[in-house]
Amino acid sequence: MTMFRRSIGIRHLVCGSCNGCEHEMNALNNAFYDITQNGWDLVASPRHADVVTVTGPMTEAMRTAARATLEAVPRPKVVVAIGDCATGDGPWTGAPAGAGAGVELAADVMVRGCPPTPDDIRAGLARAAELLDS
Amino acid sequence: MISVGTTAADVRAFHEDVIAECENGIPAGAYADANFAHYLFLSAGGASTLSRALHGERRLHAVSGLVPLFSWDEREMAQEWDVRFDALPDDRPLYAHDGAMSAARIVHGEGIMQFVVGPVHAGIIEGGRFTFSSGGETIVHLDAQLGYAHRGVERALQGALPSQAAAKVARICGGCSASRSYAFALAIEALAHVEPEPEIELVRLIVAELERVYNHLADLAASASGAGYAVGFARGMALKERAMRLCHAACGHRLLFDAIAPGGLGRPVLEDRVPFGAELAELERDVHLYLTALFGTASMMSRWERAGIVPYETAKAFGAVGPAYRASGGSTDIRTFIPYGAYRWLPPSVACGASADARARCEVKRDETVESFALIRRALHELSDASLPPQRPVEPRPGRALGVVEGPRGTELVAVHVDERGRIERIHFISASYRNWPIVARAMENNIVPDFPLVNKSFNLCYACADR
Repeated sequence: MTMFRRSIGIRHLVCGSCNGCEHEMNALNNAFYDITQNGWDLVASPRHADVVTVTGPMTEAMRTAARATLEAVPRPKVVVAIGDCATGDGPWTGAPAGAGAGVELAADVMVRGCPPTPDDIRAGLARAAELLDS
Repeated sequence: MISVGTTAADVRAFHEDVIAECENGIPAGAYADANFAHYLFLSAGGASTLSRALHGERRLHAVSGLVPLFSWDEREMAQEWDVRFDALPDDRPLYAHDGAMSAARIVHGEGIMQFVVGPVHAGIIEGGRFTFSSGGETIVHLDAQLGYAHRGVERALQGALPSQAAAKVARICGGCSASRSYAFALAIEALAHVEPEPEIELVRLIVAELERVYNHLADLAASASGAGYAVGFARGMALKERAMRLCHAACGHRLLFDAIAPGGLGRPVLEDRVPFGAELAELERDVHLYLTALFGTASMMSRWERAGIVPYETAKAFGAVGPAYRASGGSTDIRTFIPYGAYRWLPPSVACGASADARARCEVKRDETVESFALIRRALHELSDASLPPQRPVEPRPGRALGVVEGPRGTELVAVHVDERGRIERIHFISASYRNWPIVARAMENNIVPDFPLVNKSFNLCYACADR
């Protein structure tokens, strides 16, 4: 299976983000970052994913759907928290919003930034790919 | 104007005052606080408010039965501020309650089926739940339920000093951060009787127009993608990336967070103007080439044509703002309707469309993108090499003020109440996306299901600033 090493399918899960992190996640697909060259793909279904990226502080309305989405991802899986809200360091952390999507969903990798740059996100995803191989 | 009577007749009289005001001005939305309900209206040169004391019973006669654009506002007032409406046509809570979204409105009938999309979507998109009722391919009704990004930002900001709140206000919504910061700054500066210097206003104009440029490029690229045109998407997203890098060159942040703040600028902006001007010119040239090619692609244009038509009467009744309104025959642009900052002496030419479909919305955004570059160039020229004054201290006096600007998606409004200690007592945000989401639902009626992506992307609204 070495030919598939570090080739990951990524499912993105928004948990009350401001959409800033989504602007930067979307940039990963543009001609400047083009993560398909790494063998990485942003997939439409959690069933196809190895890595779940999560953003936002977590909201009351998203909690159930977020857990269901994570449940639907086959093992082994790695959760990457993208941005300060998800890592629990954002402006809306705490009541009434949650403690951070990455904190609540026990993320394996934390990518700080408000928002993190596409390069920072790419580094976090590379770390996730390493974890899947180890 | 403040209304205070307590009888049923007084409640009714207030209701009639609001209806009458809707005839004269443009209704902008409504919100409640601990003691009052406030209905907001915009007219040339200013904003006005009709306020009604809620007293113990907190009862009001709903306006949304006659003026449907108030529907979300009144549902939100009922859920979040315990206002008890009589005759509220849609009385479901606007946001989730105890973690559960209320049941979607669906259409029953022979051959009508329902399907649900969301809140987790297939792409990298914010969360919302869309319940379609369709007869075969044709959509009969769409119920767009948002609120998945409801973080309770307004309550979280209560008690904060405006200077502390500024960074949080910039982080309510990533895609229209600069516009919201601008509206917030206008409101706080009005209460503090501070008027920024012309150089600061010129820089703020440049920041606001950069935000319009990167958003409109992303919207046009996404609209091309919705029509299945991969080249238009790829080129557009590459240009959006360059626009974001230009934002970074201007202020050190790709999404312009904190660039505009009460009293001036919240971070160093345009310190090195010569390389910025050179990059701007290069981007402008390539954007022109892109727009000519995109709108010259006949097969794609034919997909945009007649898709998602919003007749003028619908746009007006449901409160469309920004490019969505101007594509349907409206002409309101806050930059010229209630001019603020440097727009007072550098007014844009307002882009309008008439065909009211996805094509018209994209054409308005195309024309606005071109105009934004022209505005930035004019402001840069006027700014020349002038040094920028430092951020001024702002100490707002107690009171209430509105800040209104034209963001990429339309009217961005902030209402702020400041207490005796100079702290935020109540703050309310009415975003262009909040106003326009019900329009998207109407636009889909009688369209086919596969056209949802392209009709939706011709609006390309945010969820975060609608949900707050």
